Parts: sequence; C-alpha cells; structure tokens
Amino acid sequence: MPGARLSVAAVLTVAATAMLAAAAAAQTPPVTFEDHIRPIMERTCWNCHGAAAQLSGLDLRTRAGALEGGAKGPALVPGRAEDSRLFRMVAGLDEPAMPMGGEELADAEVAALRAWIDQGAHWDAGGATPAAVALAALEGGELPPGARDYWAFRPPARTPVPVAGAFTHPVDRFLEAARREAGVVAAPRADRLTLLRRAYLDLTGMPPTPAQADEFLADTARGAWERLIERLLASPHYGERWGRHWLDVARYADSAGFEQDYTRPNAWRYRDYVIDAFNADKPYNQFIREQIAGDELDHTTDETLIATGFLRAGPRVQFREKDNPERRHDYLDDVLETVGRGMLGMTVQCARCHDHKFDPIPQRDYYRLQASIFGYVETDWPLLDRAAADAWRARNAAVDREQQPLEDEIAAIEAPYRERFRNELIRERFPENVQAAAFKPEAERTPGEQLLAAQVLSINSPRWDVAAAMSPEHKARVDALRARLAALDARRPPAPAMAEIVTDGDYRFAPDGPGDQVIGCPECRLPPDEPGTFLHEPGGPAYEAPPSYFLIRGDPFSPGSEMSPGFLGAATYGDPPTVVPRPDGRTSGRRLALAEWIASRDNPLTARVIVNRIWHHHFGRGIVRTLDNLGRMGDAPTHPGLLDWLAVEFMDRGWSIKQMHRLLMTSEAYRMASAYRHEASAAADPDNRLLWRYRPQRLEAEALRDAIMTVSGGIDLTVGGPPVFPHVPEDILRTSGGKGLWCGTPPDGRRIEVPHEGIWCVEPDGPQVWRRSVYVYRRRSLGFPFFETFDLPDQNQTAAARNVSTVSTQALTLMNNPFVLNQARLFAARLERAAPGDLQAQIELAYRIALTRPPTTAEAAIARELAAGRGLVDLAHVMLNLNEFLYLR
Amino acid sequence: MPSHHHHCRKKTFWSRRDFLFQSGGGIAGLALADLLGRQGLLAAGAAQPDACAAPLAGNPFAPKAPHFEPRAKAVISLFMSGGVSQVDTFDPKPALARHAGQPLADSVVVRQGHPGPLMPSPFEFRRHGESGIEVSEIFPHLGAKVDELAFIRSIYGRSNDHIQATYEMQSGQIRMGFPAVGSWVTYGLGSESASLPAFVVMNDHRGGPLGGPNDWSAGFMPATYQGTLFRAVGDPIVDLQPPDGMTVTQQRARLDALARLNEIDLARNPANSELAARIASYELAYRMQGCAPEAVDISAESEATKKLYGLDNPLTEPFGRQCLLARRLVERGVRFVQLFHGGLGQQNTDTWDAHSNLRENHALHAAETDLPIAGLLTDLKARGLLDSTLLLWHAEFGRMPISQRGVGRDHNPGTMTGWMAGAGIRGGQVIGASDDFGYRAVEQRVSAHDLHATILHLLGIDHTRLTYRYNGRDMRLTDVHGVPIPQIVA
Repeated sequence: MPGARLSVAAVLTVAATAMLAAAAAAQTPPVTFEDHIRPIMERTCWNCHGAAAQLSGLDLRTRAGALEGGAKGPALVPGRAEDSRLFRMVAGLDEPAMPMGGEELADAEVAALRAWIDQGAHWDAGGATPAAVALAALEGGELPPGARDYWAFRPPARTPVPVAGAFTHPVDRFLEAARREAGVVAAPRADRLTLLRRAYLDLTGMPPTPAQADEFLADTARGAWERLIERLLASPHYGERWGRHWLDVARYADSAGFEQDYTRPNAWRYRDYVIDAFNADKPYNQFIREQIAGDELDHTTDETLIATGFLRAGPRVQFREKDNPERRHDYLDDVLETVGRGMLGMTVQCARCHDHKFDPIPQRDYYRLQASIFGYVETDWPLLDRAAADAWRARNAAVDREQQPLEDEIAAIEAPYRERFRNELIRERFPENVQAAAFKPEAERTPGEQLLAAQVLSINSPRWDVAAAMSPEHKARVDALRARLAALDARRPPAPAMAEIVTDGDYRFAPDGPGDQVIGCPECRLPPDEPGTFLHEPGGPAYEAPPSYFLIRGDPFSPGSEMSPGFLGAATYGDPPTVVPRPDGRTSGRRLALAEWIASRDNPLTARVIVNRIWHHHFGRGIVRTLDNLGRMGDAPTHPGLLDWLAVEFMDRGWSIKQMHRLLMTSEAYRMASAYRHEASAAADPDNRLLWRYRPQRLEAEALRDAIMTVSGGIDLTVGGPPVFPHVPEDILRTSGGKGLWCGTPPDGRRIEVPHEGIWCVEPDGPQVWRRSVYVYRRRSLGFPFFETFDLPDQNQTAAARNVSTVSTQALTLMNNPFVLNQARLFAARLERAAPGDLQAQIELAYRIALTRPPTTAEAAIARELAAGRGLVDLAHVMLNLNEFLYLR
Repeated sequence: MPSHHHHCRKKTFWSRRDFLFQSGGGIAGLALADLLGRQGLLAAGAAQPDACAAPLAGNPFAPKAPHFEPRAKAVISLFMSGGVSQVDTFDPKPALARHAGQPLADSVVVRQGHPGPLMPSPFEFRRHGESGIEVSEIFPHLGAKVDELAFIRSIYGRSNDHIQATYEMQSGQIRMGFPAVGSWVTYGLGSESASLPAFVVMNDHRGGPLGGPNDWSAGFMPATYQGTLFRAVGDPIVDLQPPDGMTVTQQRARLDALARLNEIDLARNPANSELAARIASYELAYRMQGCAPEAVDISAESEATKKLYGLDNPLTEPFGRQCLLARRLVERGVRFVQLFHGGLGQQNTDTWDAHSNLRENHALHAAETDLPIAGLLTDLKARGLLDSTLLLWHAEFGRMPISQRGVGRDHNPGTMTGWMAGAGIRGGQVIGASDDFGYRAVEQRVSAHDLHATILHLLGIDHTRLTYRYNGRDMRLTDVHGVPIPQIVA
C-alpha cells in the first residue's frame, strides 16, 4: 500500500527536520516521552483517544496516530507546538479546551508538552535519535540492491533481429514476430496517395500540393518512396514540424509566465535554433550538449549560446525575485524536471522532497543533479564575438560611469521639489492621522506613526510635476545636465542582437529583472560591500559555483550537507567525471559534465527516450506509451527488443534523427493501411498495440492550422524570425493580463526593447499573420484560442504525448471561426481561378488539394449538390471540416 | 441583434435537426441515427419534451456515478478576485479599534512597501438572524441570509501573490499547469446537460480575473475538461454562431453535406470510435448553438426575478446577470459554474485589491455583489434548487489587519473568511477562527485542499479516490492532503 510507505518516509523526514530545528535552537532540557509525557497521556488523553474510544477519529496511542490525526486534522506537528492541536487544546488556545470535562493540566505539564513537541515529539522510550544520524540516514541515498535490475537502467543491447516470414526490414521482423505470437495479421500496404499524404503531414506538417502529388505518381521507378523521403527531409519545413515536437519537450513559450507574464523578446532565437538543428540533422548528442552546456563547450558560438535557452524556457516570475529567494529552487526544479522527463524519461522531480517512491532515485541524486546546474544564472547575451562583446560591455560601462555624477546632481536639485510635491500629495490623499505621523519630528512619532511615516514618505512624486515647478536657474541646470546625459547616450555603442542564455554565475549578485523592485525585504539583498560578481569577470580567478545543499523535505530554509555534483546513480555506468574543468575558468564545467553524461553511449536512458519519441510521432504511440516516463510508473514497452535495437542503431548511426526517419519510414509497418478490418486481430489486440494496422492520428493544433492555410493557398512559408500574432478577439484578450509586449516585426538582428504593456499585438486576420503555426507567439497566460481548442499542451511543463480530445468547441471553431471561413473563401477563390466556371473540375481539384485524392462518384455528387445549390465557398468550408482532412492516416 | 435573436429560438434549431434526421434520411441519416443512439435523440425529437435536455450519445460529458450518495449535484463558485478583507466583511475584530495605530508585530511580512499600524474597520458590524452572526454593514442583504450560510473564518493559503494564490484556490497548487476544481468535478461526474458545456466560467464585465484562463484550465487533463468561458453579453461562447452573412439555411446545407461525406468516410474506416465521436461532436455543437443562447437569454425571466438579482440597477446589474445566468445554467444541468467578480483593468479599483482605499473599494464591490448573491440564494431556494446546489464564496486571500498608508490593506494569505451554502449545509454557523486581529487563522485552519475535499465530498466524491494518471502518478486535486470540513459534511 503506497500510503503506508509514504507515511513512513514522511515521518522520518519530519522527524529529521524537527531535530535539526531543535539542534539549532536554544538548548532546552530534553523532555522524554517515558518520564514526562506518558503519565499525562495515560491520565488525561487515552480515556477518549485510546484503546477504549477514538473520539473524533483520533487515536493518540502512537505517534503515527497523532500525526495522522482525526476529523480535525493532525494532532501533532513535530517541532512546532504552536501549530499542534494537541498542544493548543490543552493550553486553552483552541476550542474545545482539552481534556474535555476533565481537570486542566498543570502549567508545568503544558510546558512539558510544549517542549516535547518542539523537540520533535519523540514517542519512544529511548529518547531522540541524534540529529546527525537522522540526517545521514536521509541523505544516505544508497541505491537499494537490485535497483538497476530494471529494463530501462540496463544498457540497451543490440537485440538479434528475429526471423519473421517474408519481412526483410529489421523493424518489420521485430513487429511481425510479436504479431505472430499474438495471432494478429498485418494490414496490406496503403495506396500510394495515402502514403504520400502521410509522409508530407508527418515530415512537414502540411499536405502535398497536386503538383507534388503528380511528381510522386510520375516517379514509378524503384526507390520512389526513398526519394520522396529525401525530398521531404531536405525541406526547411521539416525542421518546423519536428522542431515543434521538441519545443513541446522544452516547454517553450515567448513569455515568462505568472502575474506579469513578461514578454521574452529574444526567446524566438532558441525556437529558430531548434528548427535549424532539425533541418541540419544536428547529432542528438551534440544537440543535448549545446542545450545544457552550450556556454561551456570548447568552441562556443552564438548558436551554442542560444541553445542554452532550453534551460530557461520554463515559467519565471521575474518580479520581486529578491523578495522571494525560494523561487530560485522552483526554477532549478523546472530545469531538472525538464531534463529528467524530457531527455532521461525519468520523473526526477519526484525526488525533490523525499526519495522517489517508485524508481531508484534517492533524494540525494536530486540534489547532486541540482549541484550540477547550481551555477545557473539567466542573462542576456550580445550576439557578438567574445572580444566585441567585452568591448561593448566596457563601452557601456564607461558611459554609465560618466553619467552617474550627472544623475546624482539632478537628483540633488530635484530632491526639495520632490519632497514638496510628496508632502502636498500626503495632505491631499491621506487622512489626518497619516498626515500627523508624516509631518511630526521623527523623535515624537509613536511606533505606529513611525510605520505610517515610513509608508508615505517613501512615495515618489511624478517627474513632470517636478520639472514644471522648478526655478529658472534649476531648470536651466537640469536641462543642461540632461543634454549632457543625452550626448553621452549617443556615445553608447549600437545595441547588438541579444540572446536569452544561461551561463554560470553567482545568483546572489543578480541585477534586478524587469520590474524587480526590492520591497519589504531589504535583508534579502546582499550587503553592498560583499565581494562577488554576477558573471565571471574576465581575468579574475577561476569561477567557482556557489555552494548548494541537500534540502530537507525540499525546503530551501532547511539545508543539510553541502552537495557535490553528480547524476542518477541507477543510470550511471563507469565513473564519468562530474566536472569537466574549463581552461578559460569562466564556468564550472559541471553542466558540461552533466551534458556529457546524458549524451553518452553509457547512459541507458537517453537513446531509448529519443528513439521512442521519434517512433511515437511516426506511429502515433510510443513503444513505451509514456514518452516522458520509462520508470516503473510508466507503461511497459510493447516491443522491448525493438526499442533496444533502435536505440543502439540510433547511436551507431551517429545519433542522427534523419537516419531514424529513413529507417522507420522505409519499413512496411509505416506503409500499412489504416483503413483495414480484420476481426481476429481486432479481437486479439483492440488497441492495436502490436501495430497490425497504421494508427490514424488527429493533426495537432499547429498542423491543422497549417494544413488549412496550405489548402487555401494563403500560407506564408517564410522560415524563422520573431513571432507573429494571429487575430484574437478583443474580449478574449480581456480575460488575460500581463506586461511587456512588443508589436510589429523588428528588423532581424536588432535588439527588441520592451516599451509597451499589453498582452497581444492586435492585427487583423490577413496574410501578414498566415505564417506557420510554429511562429505564432506563445503567451503562457493566454494560449492562442485555436490551439487551445485543439489540445495545445500546457506550456509550463515539459510535455508528454499530446492529449487528443474530441469536443464540440472544436466543431464550433471549424464551423464558425472567422479565420477558418476566410480560409474557406480563399480556397474557393483558388478553385475558381484554377478552373473558372467548371464545377466538375473544381470539385475534382478541391479533393486533390484538400485530401490528396480524387473524389468518388458518391462524394462528387454530394459536393456538386452543395456547390451548385449554395456555392463553392460552402464546399470549400465543408472540405476543411471533414474528418478525413483532420487526420493523418 | 437580429442574428442573435434568430438563433435563440429553439424552433429554428429543431427544424434543422429534423432536417438532419428525417429529411436527411438515406444511408447517412440511418447510420447517424444509429450512431447517436436511437433512444436518445430520435425519441426526444419525436416527443419534444425539452429539446435541449435530451440525452446525446457520444457526449464526452455523459454523467458518471459518484462514489457515494451526493448532497449536491451542482456547484456555483463565487470568486471575489483581488482578495477580500475578512476584518471588514465577515470576521469582526473589536481588538483592532482598541489597538488602532499600534504596530502588529515585528515580523509582519507585507507584499508592498513597509508594514503600517493596525487599522480598525471603517465599517460597522451588526448581528443578524437567529444565529446572531455579525456581518459588516456593507453586506445588508447577505446579512439577512446568515442563517443559511456556513462561514469559515480560517481559510489560509501559501502565497501572497494574486496569481499563485488564485491558482492555489482553483487547483490546490501554486504553480500553473494543474486542473481547476471545476475540471476535476466534470472529470469525476460528467454533466447532466447534453447541450451545454459541463464547466462554465463567467467573468466580471470589466475583464478576466487575475491569473486569466489558467484559472479554469484543465492542466494536464484533456481539453475536454477545461472551463468554457461564457460571455455575459452577446453570444455566450466564442465562435458559437456563424459570422454575419451566413444564414441558418446555409449552415444547415453545409452541415448536412458534411455529415453525409463523413458517413462515407466512416464506412471506409470501420471501428474507429474517434471518427464517430467527432461526428457526434458536430451534433453537440449544433445543439449548443441552439441551446446556449436560450440558456443565457433572460428575456423570459419575470420582472420580479430580474429585480431580485438587481438587474434594475446599473450598480448590481452586471454581477446580478452573472448570478441569474448561473441559476439558469444549473437548472439546465451544468455541473460547475465559476463566477468571477473583479476583473482586470484598474486592479486597485476594479477588483477587491484594496491597497489604496479600502473603504471605497470594499463598499463598492460589496454593493455590486450583495444583493445579487442574496437574490441567487432566494431564487435557488424558491425553485427547490438550493438543496442540490453548493454555493461557495471566497477570494484568493484575505487582507491585512494593518493599514497600508492609513487607508488601504495589503494582501494576507494568513487568513480569509469564506462561506458555503446550499447542499443541505447547516447555515448560521461559524467554523474556525482567526487570531484577535485577523492576521492568522488559528482555530481549525482550513487549506485549499480542505476546501476542495469538502466540495468533492458534497458531490459524492471521495477526494482520495478521484485520480488522474499523469506523469506516472495518480494525481489528485488534493495531492496527498485535504480533510473535508466536518461541520460542513456532517
């Protein structure tokens, strides 16, 4: 029973926390259960909460019982008497006072109970386990025996390819062996047009044009299928399609999330990096290295720096970060979860607060992994070579230095005016008591008045008021100073293109993020004289990562021992380095070591996870259905031998994803028909786990929108660049808030400032926004409605397989959405242009464009009836609603 | 709006339906009839008891059995966005007047700037009803209902940030990406309505709440379970009606052709339940076109009813309309209605977020909601719906007992007062308590998990058994926490 295991672990953790707290707290003479508490319990508690009765469902005979509590919740919070009902009720702090109807406890007894709970509420006779022992037990993190005795942790072996009938392709021989065992029969090959459409939708996310179909049909020579695959793999639209799959893994969005939901104006460079990487068939192990440690490689480039955008693509508050230091741990957790589920297929994040319940991932492994990335800081990086970047920074810093005294002087001149306006504002806006507090001498203020004064005297007055009220001399002086400031600004070097990257640094010295005012928590700041810098200073001593700790119960305020970097023990073979020292001393080399461990042939998880993902997209379901979880709570592989064989093959073929497409798509399995009825197979394997026919897949939201625009002919196939903003009705925009929006498309390479507040650039529906869906702005707080309706995955966590829902709002969208109707009109106009006045030809063409096939006689008749009776737009609109149009099959 | 009116009439809708199922005839008609369930649609079509109430085969929201006998069938959640001050509404603290102007404690953490001194409520409290529960003068109509309300004065949360606190109250988690309580409820129970979405959200007329659409997202569940945003004016659902220029006849022709072509396709792809479900989804969509406008068309309501909700007064009209629509939706079988009061715009004035002038802010928002909510209670009771409907009122957090610059109050997740009513809950009771100043919940502290466990319990669901497999784990709305509030579920 998992519940039981959970409570044991929880008790241990709670106990250890309490002990540490107790050890750190002032020494109170220990109270023991046997000597002090048991007598109280026996006399007063156990009559009603013991063997005879458990009133309110509460049993106080054991510690577990007290922790579990009764109807009102737990009776005990070890270490916190003030929060424990047991104490509060006997102390008369909570109703009803306990013992109910009995004699009140003596003060000394109440004090003993309090001390006992504060010291951890140890129930045993022997007294407390020393805190150090408890912590050591918690941090021990030894793998249980047999931890690696699980398929996903064993290195994949090149399984011998079974012999299975006439099949020659290794993939088919694996599949057929399993089919025969289960008595299911593979479907025949689909017809050529079905295959053509399948390949186009699968590899590029768009249906083929009639010309492309003709080209394929005309190629009747041997190898036509292979040539088609090569053409599609060479298309720049391949990377848009398959890059999008990876962007799901990377939880990519163009905004930061949470209340402000700031725009991340350069996030799209990472998106384009991913698209380019797929188009270039970047080896997957290199793809991993760049995304995790692109700033630490022997040869860093703009491209590898942009790749680290992977690490920071998740949600970040970016507001008052300094007041909430614990958030950094959530961000680190976001990174570990994404790396864990996304690349390793392991729910690493489950071990943040306790050992993983199901997989051999001790909590210590989590904090070793955390130490591997703990140098992590997010920064904007000029896309210049290193010397030029340093020079750019230096020139800016020089201007800053010259400007500072001028700004100080302006502030000094303005100060008395500001004070006057502030006082006027206080008089106007605040009640008497506040005014009295603000305007009396500090020494005369009561403690409450001091608070009020601090609140209102910190108000700023608007600058324009000050400027208007200044004396002519002051004004002249300030204007002159401002002119000099402007002249100095003109000396700033032109802003280069910027990338949002991650590198090593010291988070404690992070400059403010956008809107990140430190308020209410000045002590969260480092003292100004504390030595240290945010980023490594060129020429300084080699970078050292700030210390990170094992966190008891995952609580940032309960640190245990300092942690050194490391990996998942169960998935580590040999003795890979946990640090790869960097000759330039700029970074720690810890992330690089992590990347090398993940991207290593010796890692049993990495290759399996990615080939399984590739398989999923080609066949509609992974060999392991849970793409992000190869652990014990994930699904078992349907074809474990095949998965291993593919993983080895993948690594042998240089970690090439395109090679896997070639391999899988040339199998007979990929070319089976989906429309195939076989009663015995359906009875034996109704879910088609054994792949006896091709599994149809509803197009993802993006592919559906792209297919609609492709069919209408309206699509703009420009590759790459800043995001676009398809039309969203205003009342939907009004359901969402946030800041930091830029509108329009800035020239490529120019730094985009963030001048506006808002949430979406309002553009009419038109060709300027009919770009491929991968380029649509991704706002975390407001999913693009068309995508949301068609199962956009949550943009805040790394995604597994997408959900496929069939809801009526999808029908409403395709029936009534103005975008869809515009595309239908465009489609109709295209048909009319191609075959003016010839309805027969228009219907024929409509089918060939939308469905890659001619209509049957029955279909043509229905189409003719509709188009002749109503119009061509009606037919075009219906085509975009057809089930057949919505499915890859 | 002629097109709006046009589609509001059931007659139009049914003549279209008749066309599809009767004159549409032939192979397509027969197959579709078979698909959609002879018993469901066709029987209803023949008898026409209430077109919109007829069951629909293939409906993803088909009702599911609860774990045990439920106390309520539907929920109306009234969310006061921005954070309501407990000490100025339902949790009187005389100690604030006695200690006015003094500091609260050394360790107060506020959201904005520096902490101020204790500030008494600018409002008077009065005892009401047989229970004698005290309610602030700004809620006279709800005051008159105290004997029907169960107040919880000890709700606490984990974040003093609007968004994260809203997520916690809606999903139990302070992070994005987790299903809202309404999603869990529709996942667990389905819906009684085959013509309307199961989980409906209505926003303040000034805009969405802080947190936006994530507040009603299905998180890791399929989109099926996400809240559907109903607009209070115009078409209730985005893309519900064809744009201007398309006639009903035209749409009917397109849908008939679509159905016939899809039938041919279905015959070629046998045993594909997804294709059949998609065909059915068009039927449900078409039903929605007919039924959703009818559900939100209040023209047939009596003048007395409209007055009961305050529709005759511009101040109470917007939220009154939301409350009246909530009743109409619950009447029509919608499972979970989420109303938000307080919308984006000027956060300090358009929501309950009274940093700068508590007196004006709370007096205004109370005046906007007091009569409509009391009217909703009255109306539900009069129609015999109150016992089967749970009403829930709360915000994302409470506010500070100390002042912000002598006039406002900052956020306080330490305690908040909410209330529940209906569902056979004993009214006139106060559950839990905050400390003398209303700074922290101290007695019977109630977390979002406890609230959620309570809601599920009233709906006949054991919160520990309602699970959804995600990420290798059986996820729960209440994670590993939550205890139903005993006085509520008793």
